[in-house]
Amino acid sequence: MRRILAGIETEYGLQVSGRGAAEQIDDAAALVRSYPGECLPVWDYRYESPRADLRGFQQARLNYDPEDAKFDVGRSRGPDSEVRSDRILPNGARLYNDHGHPEYSTPECWSLEALAKHDQAGELAVLAAARSYAAREGVEVRIYKNNTDFHGASYGTHENYLVPRSLAYEQLLRAVTPMLVVRQLLTGAGKVGSESGAACNFQLSQRADFFTELANVDTLYRRPIFNTRDEPHSRPSDWIRLHVISGDANMMPACTARKVALVKLAVALAEIGEAPVWHLPDPVRTFQQISRDPTLAQPIELTGRNWTTVREIFESYFAAAEARLDLDAELCSSISECRSLLDSLEQEGWYALKRDVEWAAKRAIIETVVEGEGMEWSDPTLQAYDLEYSNVDPEEGLYHALVHMGEVQNPQELDASLLERHIERTRAYVRGVAVSKFRDQVQTACWRSITFDKGAEVLELELPPDMEYPEHLQDAPDVESFIKAIGGTA
Amino acid sequence: MSDGDRLTRPLTREPGPKLGDEGGPKGPGVRKPEGGNELLRRMKKVDPDQAKKYRQRSGQ
Repeated sequence: MRRILAGIETEYGLQVSGRGAAEQIDDAAALVRSYPGECLPVWDYRYESPRADLRGFQQARLNYDPEDAKFDVGRSRGPDSEVRSDRILPNGARLYNDHGHPEYSTPECWSLEALAKHDQAGELAVLAAARSYAAREGVEVRIYKNNTDFHGASYGTHENYLVPRSLAYEQLLRAVTPMLVVRQLLTGAGKVGSESGAACNFQLSQRADFFTELANVDTLYRRPIFNTRDEPHSRPSDWIRLHVISGDANMMPACTARKVALVKLAVALAEIGEAPVWHLPDPVRTFQQISRDPTLAQPIELTGRNWTTVREIFESYFAAAEARLDLDAELCSSISECRSLLDSLEQEGWYALKRDVEWAAKRAIIETVVEGEGMEWSDPTLQAYDLEYSNVDPEEGLYHALVHMGEVQNPQELDASLLERHIERTRAYVRGVAVSKFRDQVQTACWRSITFDKGAEVLELELPPDMEYPEHLQDAPDVESFIKAIGGTA
Repeated sequence: MSDGDRLTRPLTREPGPKLGDEGGPKGPGVRKPEGGNELLRRMKKVDPDQAKKYRQRSGQ
């Protein structure tokens, strides 16, 4: 099967002592600008088109949360580029301020392992910026890798998948949506309580409460399960970028890899017209139903008064993938792992997943005090534990305590060196080498291209996203050799 | 709910299904984590009102 380029953007929660949501945009911008590592602030915004819709039209405006709009009355913050404060790192990643949240967008990766490692390295980038900012301003800063403030405000962790433009929108929607609805069972980060819909003590997904539509272009308000933003970040005649906004931020690298693997299976099956067909009459309701059912016990409603199960939906993708796709070792392993986890859940219950699945790990922590100390589910301390699970400081966070105690399967070492290098030779490798070695010649860069300032002229080099770039790029003695090695004309 | 209201405003907590009552296979009783007390040490340091005080702007 075609190897599918992917990346993950994580908006981090930000808490600064003595400050609040009204100052959050200013604080996040200052935090990003405090990043102490090597970086270059030359992001190129020309190809951004958040209002373009895959369905073939341009939305006049995007919906914003009216509560947040109140914070901005009478405020002027200067140029958008100053507010966003984009930095490009030597690994090809992007660090910036997105609506008041420090955001780390990983370099693009082919393998699940590389992507999970770079996603985890992003925690270190944001933490380093936070510590630098805190020291300079004399404030305390906490950084959370989660998706909710428990009071109705959500912020996203988005996945991006390179998909051929030739794949019809409807075909992609039909293939991917059922997977997006069910995969939370094996990838959700878990949440104490609910912020809309039916009340519950605990649910599988951080984000389920925030979806109200099946498909639209919005991301800030009235969010959809399937986002239709058409912003390919590559040649639009050849590619689209599937922008998945319905997943949770994961502390466990294994969950990060798993959630990406499951979408890659659905995309690959869609490309060959072999994706399983499931007609969910109300995907939003089903998403929220599954989020509240850790047992697999509840039937999933299909159109025509039919019913199925979460297990059957998963298995339909696994069986089709095994029968129709030339799977690589990582995806084969992911399918085996998912089946094993589903077996464990059915036979032993959710507790058997606590070393492998984020929501089960979190629930196990919470239940030590609910069952062990008799704390009521309504006690706000439980949401404080939920929040602190995702504190990215290895010395403070509860997830990191589990790692310290050997309670997480394959936790992976935090590796700050990944902020300085890329594991794979995707176009991110080219971007990273350029901003690191030829920073004086790089005028701007973005996902799609690098623009060089060559004195008398400006040269923009398109970076095809499906190419593997030569390793010797990093040895190029000068920018002319570098440009030639990419395939450009120096 | 009007369009001017935050769509996902916090709800007054209503009695929800009690965990363990969901039906389906049951897990074994929850045990305190093994391998040391680092988790419990950190949990004791958590401000019980930390989430109550935590307010964020909506992101994407």
